[in-house]
Amino acid sequence: MKKIISELPIFYETAHAELASALEMLAACKRTNSPRQALGYFMHAKDEYNHARSFFKMLSVRGKRASIKIARDFRFKPPSLITKGYISKQGFLIEKMKLKDFIAFVYTNELLAKSSFENILTLVGRRTEEGAEISSIMSDELRHHGMAKKHFLNHYPALQPWQLMIYRIRETINNKGRKIYDANLKFLDRLLTPLYKTMAYLAGTIAKKLNLNEFQRKDKNLMNISSNSIL
Amino acid sequence: MFIGVTGYNHESSAALVDRNGVLIDFCREESLSRIKGDKSFPRRSINKLLDSNNLKINNIERVAFYERPLSAFLHIVKEASLHMPRSLDLLTHQFRNFNRSSVSCFLDFAKFFKGLETKLIYSDHHLSHTLTALAYSNSKKDICSVVVDGFGDRSTASISQIVDPTEINELWECPYPVSLGLFYSSITDYLGFAINEGEYKVMGLASYGDSNSKLAKLVRGLMDWDSSSNKMISDMSYFDYHISTSNSFSSKLKDLLGPARNPFDQLIPGDIDFQRCANIARGAQDLTIYLLRKIFTHAHKITGSRRFLFSGGVSMNSSSIDHLAQMPFVDEIIIPPNPGDAGCAIGAAFYCHLKSNSFSDIKISKPSFFPSLKEKRNDELLTEQIIFNEFTFLERREENAFLKAAELISKGEIIGTVLSSSETGPRALGNRSLLCDGKNKYAVNRLNTVIKNRSPFRPTAPAMRYEIAKKFYKLRPEIIDCYKSMSATCQCLEDNISLEFPTTHVDGTARIQIVKNNSSLDKLLSMLEPMGIEILANSSLNVSGDPTCFDLVDGLMVCSRTKLSYLLTDLGLLKRKT
Ligand SMILES: [Fe+2]
Ligand SMILES: [Fe+2]
Ligand SMILES: [Fe+2]
Repeated sequence: MKKIISELPIFYETAHAELASALEMLAACKRTNSPRQALGYFMHAKDEYNHARSFFKMLSVRGKRASIKIARDFRFKPPSLITKGYISKQGFLIEKMKLKDFIAFVYTNELLAKSSFENILTLVGRRTEEGAEISSIMSDELRHHGMAKKHFLNHYPALQPWQLMIYRIRETINNKGRKIYDANLKFLDRLLTPLYKTMAYLAGTIAKKLNLNEFQRKDKNLMNISSNSIL
Repeated sequence: MFIGVTGYNHESSAALVDRNGVLIDFCREESLSRIKGDKSFPRRSINKLLDSNNLKINNIERVAFYERPLSAFLHIVKEASLHMPRSLDLLTHQFRNFNRSSVSCFLDFAKFFKGLETKLIYSDHHLSHTLTALAYSNSKKDICSVVVDGFGDRSTASISQIVDPTEINELWECPYPVSLGLFYSSITDYLGFAINEGEYKVMGLASYGDSNSKLAKLVRGLMDWDSSSNKMISDMSYFDYHISTSNSFSSKLKDLLGPARNPFDQLIPGDIDFQRCANIARGAQDLTIYLLRKIFTHAHKITGSRRFLFSGGVSMNSSSIDHLAQMPFVDEIIIPPNPGDAGCAIGAAFYCHLKSNSFSDIKISKPSFFPSLKEKRNDELLTEQIIFNEFTFLERREENAFLKAAELISKGEIIGTVLSSSETGPRALGNRSLLCDGKNKYAVNRLNTVIKNRSPFRPTAPAMRYEIAKKFYKLRPEIIDCYKSMSATCQCLEDNISLEFPTTHVDGTARIQIVKNNSSLDKLLSMLEPMGIEILANSSLNVSGDPTCFDLVDGLMVCSRTKLSYLLTDLGLLKRKT
């Protein structure tokens, strides 16, 4: 049981990440002006959708064996792609980034994804059926990485491979930074929770005395109520 | 031009209405973000409305948000504050997320659409539902509106009398937290399905249950109608939705009904837990029908009306509509094609229109079922390489493509469609559908399992023309419009062959679609009928868990990800290369 409890979040988060990549690629596909690029993004999105499906399947296998209370916490709700930060509230990457940065982002992250799958591979065992599935996902990621690299060098021939290297280092640092930031945020959150709760308790005590009856609508013409009121 | 928007607490969307009261365009955010049930500020939808219709911000006279943000917030906080300290998590969550709630609607407009924030007004949540429904009614006067949902900005159900669009008097309401919608969602959650998505599954499951079973009776007792005060009542100790962010039901409900279902377990007819779950679903369905009958009876009593608009999430409970139509005082029930919260953007846009026009000159045109215009984009060019690599054209000319699609359907094949504009509501009515011969058991089964991965206890809807429907089903004239948007189920005629159709549910009902004249399905059926096929099985074009396809790329993607081989599009009929 302990093993399952520790594994569930890994598959849950990875499935989110893969589905988010699929949506990013689909968005890029719809926004490009080049039919060739559209095909590239389309095929890439399809791969990512398949990866997400694989991880959801692996999640489900473990969810079934977990206690109901725990399993309920790992149900997938699509809007959590946004609330968990896998898709930015500000929009898809292609909407926010310059094309060059976007491709560099893909280039780096595919490689980072592949390396994070190494850990999962150890977890499920290389020789298992799941292991084989993950290995094939890893080779997809490597292919995506290669494609992005080729695309990058084709479109920006003036750029040297060492410059790509810099992009990669930058993204790696960013990624690490995100993780540290996330961990700090969680730590801070734990630290501040008692304070938040105390404040909520105080606010709740005031809210108890709120009388919302005067805002009732009974016997009123709804069309005559002020359209500027937020209450 | 007027814009209405929804979002934050429920699915987001945006609608565009012109000065003549015509719905020009409508878009759900999930269609564009491809995140099902997307609740974020509908930035993409608004952008799309502006772009597709060549509008600038200064062309927009007013924008309405579909509910009163502070009211929604305060009602939840007030209720939770009565249950401290148990509700402390919910309260903390509410306060911490205050700036992300709909209160920030004004700020989001200021951030993403500078200038629109100054034109922002607010409608009541249930008024937005009412106006959406009213738009789809032929007559706009002397009609009663019944709204039943989870929770809006103050109540969970209401009855209003519409004298005319400028005078809509609210006569009854059910205050939060007693809520038929949230009760149904809690049972959905208890049965392991996702809230706001799994309710259809509960409804389908209920047909396998027994109303006389102990469990059904226990669930049936969780809420009631108090005839002396004309109030809906509920024993709130079984529910936690008003005091918790993570649990909709309490441990007391588990003590009553047994353990909740593991969401990862598949529910298959014949399994050990299946009958228990079906009986619980049956109880929820029986209670819903019982309470809706009480609400409608009360609505008739206080308004004297025999014609009803019905909207809010609970009105999507299509199998209760047939029961409502049988009540002696009902002459007509109208349900809009998108009666849930996403559809409220339409009502909100009409609210702007009504607020901006002199009341002597009010027009509201009945909207089309397919108002969602395509994005401005050259699909032919964009998809050129995708199609070249992954698909072959079977036919390019429209007539030939339809004819070829009809031939394939008659041979037992399944066809996906991405045609013209997309549907308003959650039900695919032909333009974003998966179709096959509705009497072919093998084809229907393949559509459900191989392509859609639907729960085995959920039936697929049959679509046909009115003349055909009459031969097989007990149609009720009071809800004839509901059949056009798949909003109501109906019984098969007694001893009728339709009882054997693969689209007929285990309880002898079907959620039929009567096809509108001149629609894509009408055209397809006109070619299919000479081939001996008069009924199509119709399901939405998507992979389960995803939103219904919106554009051609989405359709091509579904084809690529599933075993679907054929796609009927505006460019022609495509076949996926193996
Ligand atoms: Fe991937
Ligand atoms: Fe990848
Ligand atoms: Fe609602």
